[in-house]
Amino acid sequence: MIAPYLLFSIALFCVGAYGVLARRNLLIILMSLELMLNGVNVSLVAFAARFGAAAPAGQVFVLLVMAVAAAEVAVGLAIVISLFRTKQTVDTHTLRSMGG
Amino acid sequence: MNPVFLLGSTVALVASVMMVTRRNPVYASVWLLGAFLCMAVVFLTLHASFLAFIHILVYTGAILVLFVFVIMLLNLKDDEFGEEHPRGVRLSVAGMCTALFGVLVFPILREPSLWEPGVVTAEKLADLGSVESVGNVMFLKFGLQFELVSVLIMVAMFGAMVLAKKRVQG
Repeated sequence: MIAPYLLFSIALFCVGAYGVLARRNLLIILMSLELMLNGVNVSLVAFAARFGAAAPAGQVFVLLVMAVAAAEVAVGLAIVISLFRTKQTVDTHTLRSMGG
Repeated sequence: MNPVFLLGSTVALVASVMMVTRRNPVYASVWLLGAFLCMAVVFLTLHASFLAFIHILVYTGAILVLFVFVIMLLNLKDDEFGEEHPRGVRLSVAGMCTALFGVLVFPILREPSLWEPGVVTAEKLADLGSVESVGNVMFLKFGLQFELVSVLIMVAMFGAMVLAKKRVQG
């Protein structure tokens, strides 16, 4: 029975989406992105447990997603550092120089 | 239902809600740590033992440490966290996310095959997440993707170094 796992994964995804949309601190937005990726990971592992008994391809995808998340965080935090160095803020609403 | 899953998922959800509502990024990262650890427990109840191990190693050992390191590097004061959106905006975004949850949950509630117990035998399930079976699939079926991800990580590493290094004058 994997439906509870899927509900859990959707709930995690929605909490992460709230963090990305409603917060203005860049660091918290990046953390919420991690939460969204994790929600998807849980559903992939659940489907692998239910339908992938011959070959757990879903778990391999989760490993690839983890690698992508690590790369994303490395680049994202580097951007945060260089933004903070030039603007002295992590508030997304003060970073409007490309917003027209 | 599995009580370990119930406990792990409840704690993970509470911790993630606390994470997105904290003002101070240090507290947020500590709550995120709790959420990650509970997610590893959820992976264990899905017979993904290798994945649970790698999850703790990568997420708490690498990603979260990177977050804490950057928080330390920025050294934010209380007045540097920035303004948050007004309460009305936050509440309406929360309502939107609840609606998204409802829309996504609806087809799962309607699909009876997801609520049936699995047809896989117990010894097959125990083998499902072992290093051997995951490694077999990874290197026999997804070799190209594995190599591409290694290129991606290398490019991200170079990109992070270029982005974060100080510009030296002259």
